[in-house]
Amino acid sequence: MDNFRGPVKADCEELLARFQATESVRYEQFLEVWRDMNFSSIFYSKPEANERRMFARLIMSVASPYFFPPYTFQIRVAGLYLLYGLFNSQLITPKEKIRIALKDWEDAMQFQRDAVNAQHYDVLYIFRKLLSDKAFYFTAMPTPLCYGEKKEDRKKTEICEEFVDPSSRPQELITTDVLEEIGNIHEHYEGMKKSIFAEPDPNLNLIQQNLVPKLNGAILTYSSWQWNRTESEQQQDAGEGPSNQESSRRAQLIASIKSRSYGQVAEASKSRRHRQTQLVPADGADFSQKLPSKKKRSPSLKTRTQLRFNTQGNESEGLTRLWCLSAVKEEKAPEKRKKKFNWNPEKSSDPS
Amino acid sequence: MAARSSLMHEEKQLENVPAYEFINVNSNEFHIGTFRDLWLDVLNPKVYSYCNSAPEIEDVEFIEEMGIEPKTLEELKIICSVDSLRSGHEDADNVPSDPHLSTLKLRKRRQDYKETLTRDTVDRHEVYANEMEMISVGKKPDNPRDLIPEGEIILTFNIMYPILFQRFKYVRAYQTLHVLGSQRLSDLRDAICCVSDLQVFGEFSNTPDMVPQFISKDHYKSAFFFFNGTFFNDARFPECQDISMTTQEWARTRDFPDFKTAKMEDTSFYDLKMKVGFPYLYNHQGDCEHVVILTDVRLVHQDDCLDIKLYPLITHKHRVVTRKCSVCHLYISRWITTSDALAPTDPCLFCDQCFRMFHYDDKGNKLGDFLAYAYVDPGTFN
Ligand SMILES: [Zn+2]
Ligand SMILES: [Zn+2]
Repeated sequence: MDNFRGPVKADCEELLARFQATESVRYEQFLEVWRDMNFSSIFYSKPEANERRMFARLIMSVASPYFFPPYTFQIRVAGLYLLYGLFNSQLITPKEKIRIALKDWEDAMQFQRDAVNAQHYDVLYIFRKLLSDKAFYFTAMPTPLCYGEKKEDRKKTEICEEFVDPSSRPQELITTDVLEEIGNIHEHYEGMKKSIFAEPDPNLNLIQQNLVPKLNGAILTYSSWQWNRTESEQQQDAGEGPSNQESSRRAQLIASIKSRSYGQVAEASKSRRHRQTQLVPADGADFSQKLPSKKKRSPSLKTRTQLRFNTQGNESEGLTRLWCLSAVKEEKAPEKRKKKFNWNPEKSSDPS
Repeated sequence: MAARSSLMHEEKQLENVPAYEFINVNSNEFHIGTFRDLWLDVLNPKVYSYCNSAPEIEDVEFIEEMGIEPKTLEELKIICSVDSLRSGHEDADNVPSDPHLSTLKLRKRRQDYKETLTRDTVDRHEVYANEMEMISVGKKPDNPRDLIPEGEIILTFNIMYPILFQRFKYVRAYQTLHVLGSQRLSDLRDAICCVSDLQVFGEFSNTPDMVPQFISKDHYKSAFFFFNGTFFNDARFPECQDISMTTQEWARTRDFPDFKTAKMEDTSFYDLKMKVGFPYLYNHQGDCEHVVILTDVRLVHQDDCLDIKLYPLITHKHRVVTRKCSVCHLYISRWITTSDALAPTDPCLFCDQCFRMFHYDDKGNKLGDFLAYAYVDPGTFN
């Protein structure tokens, strides 16, 4: 079932991106996108109860994080609507619940207060409805945890940058207090270095000059660059309007950002989108693409043993096996593998 | 002084809010009872109540709290209606033929693939697993006294089976149990099924009819859980020994910090400090060791099994292929022989009938040299 995590996340993010493009928090807008994508059909499947339940459990766990920080208020609203839509569209009884962890409850309450202050009645109504419909499990952790379970693909759980407010970490880190402190330490440092030399050579650079002003300047430059970037993005979006084409372009953009994990576009390029910028692959990219073809693995010991046994035509083997206490299963594995379902057809060119 | 104690109280509260110790792996350590109190402190009791509050009351509350007109609420109800989420009159039992959603594309491909397989792909174990999980869902007790109180905690434990045989190395075999916060550790112990509790010790080739009826569970009653630096021993019966002593003494001579001991029958889950997702230990029959993982802790929901008597509730049991007799390939094995000249392998499994036909004459005299032991199949619990 975990193989569905990737596609489910992609579908949810497409829905969220299209809602984001409407620049609205209205439920009507959400419903329009939901219906346009025929999102309730995501549950359509052969009526196999266990599969349906496992899938509902999976999609709830994929959708829940969008209701919480670090996502923007608008995405969190969309996340809430999404959970409401999914909870009410699932095809099993009793319904799979939405898990909410104790540590996240305060965030949900703050979200509710924000919605009250802004008089977003549809947001409030939906949240209240979910609570009174007993749609939540009040849990210790966001998901059940089972030590040593196969680690999920990192890509599948990573945060979607497009849905997060621009980071202000550098600004948070370098405050006036911190600058003053650094200035003091720097002065101290300079004094100590000077004291080492009885007669300092004027040509010797004992310390970096103007450290504090430089640091301050860098932060300011970053801030204004970030501000310009959002400005120009908004202008562009406003100009083109939230048409269908636009939103699918956004979805494509998100997809392309994700896929180029090793590519590097010069960061400033986004603020000058009117100029053609091209993806400049980093040195590592070429290498990693070539890597699989170089790495032609010799067959495993198991396969080689299997081959030898087969060529020797050990007919009695099938019979003696039955006496064995140990598993016979693993010996059957190679023939089974051929028939196995390929979860990632786009990766099928990979020789391993 | 008062301020300081309230600050300490607050800190105590904070450290019992579960958070990740390692992202997506395990939580920090928290006190289960305090965790429950923290939830009950912040929640309106009606959100975890088993009863649904009347819609009219909900409506009035919403109107008053929001300061809106009844007309606005009526509009909201229409806009947010569940019916408008549905799409037309499609067939929910089949994947649409030309879907846009990636999930459906994958499901379609998978479904088409499954249809190409010749054998029936409905995995009986999976169907069974679902049945097992669902069988007690929403069950109300016959006697109202047995109703789980609202706001009680359910803990989910995965009990891994030890590697008794090589074949278990490839399958992560486990059993899943739900227990209530107010239950004792000994309640969990009694609910764990393990074949080593059913073993019969001794060699019986000379007296195959004298295999005793009692099993290890009746014989060796000692057991412990090792949670968070404390050995919780079973001390309910006079035969019980503190089998954690060996480990403790070993640790003492090697400069480990001292371990604590407690009685499992005196300890409820509310008294424990645990980490979710972290491996702990259950040991019984001297050396049968099970990794125990607390996978989930949450408040009871109205859709849960609400009959207190059905807890600990087993929701998953790994099913093992039973090992058949090596002569008839038909019956489940009851005997295992070694140093057996008549057997094709060493050791070798037999059902009761084949074992006797092979190894004894009409008068029940032993033929040839061999050693015979009672065999309990791991599939016994299926
Ligand atoms: Zn055991
Ligand atoms: Zn037999």
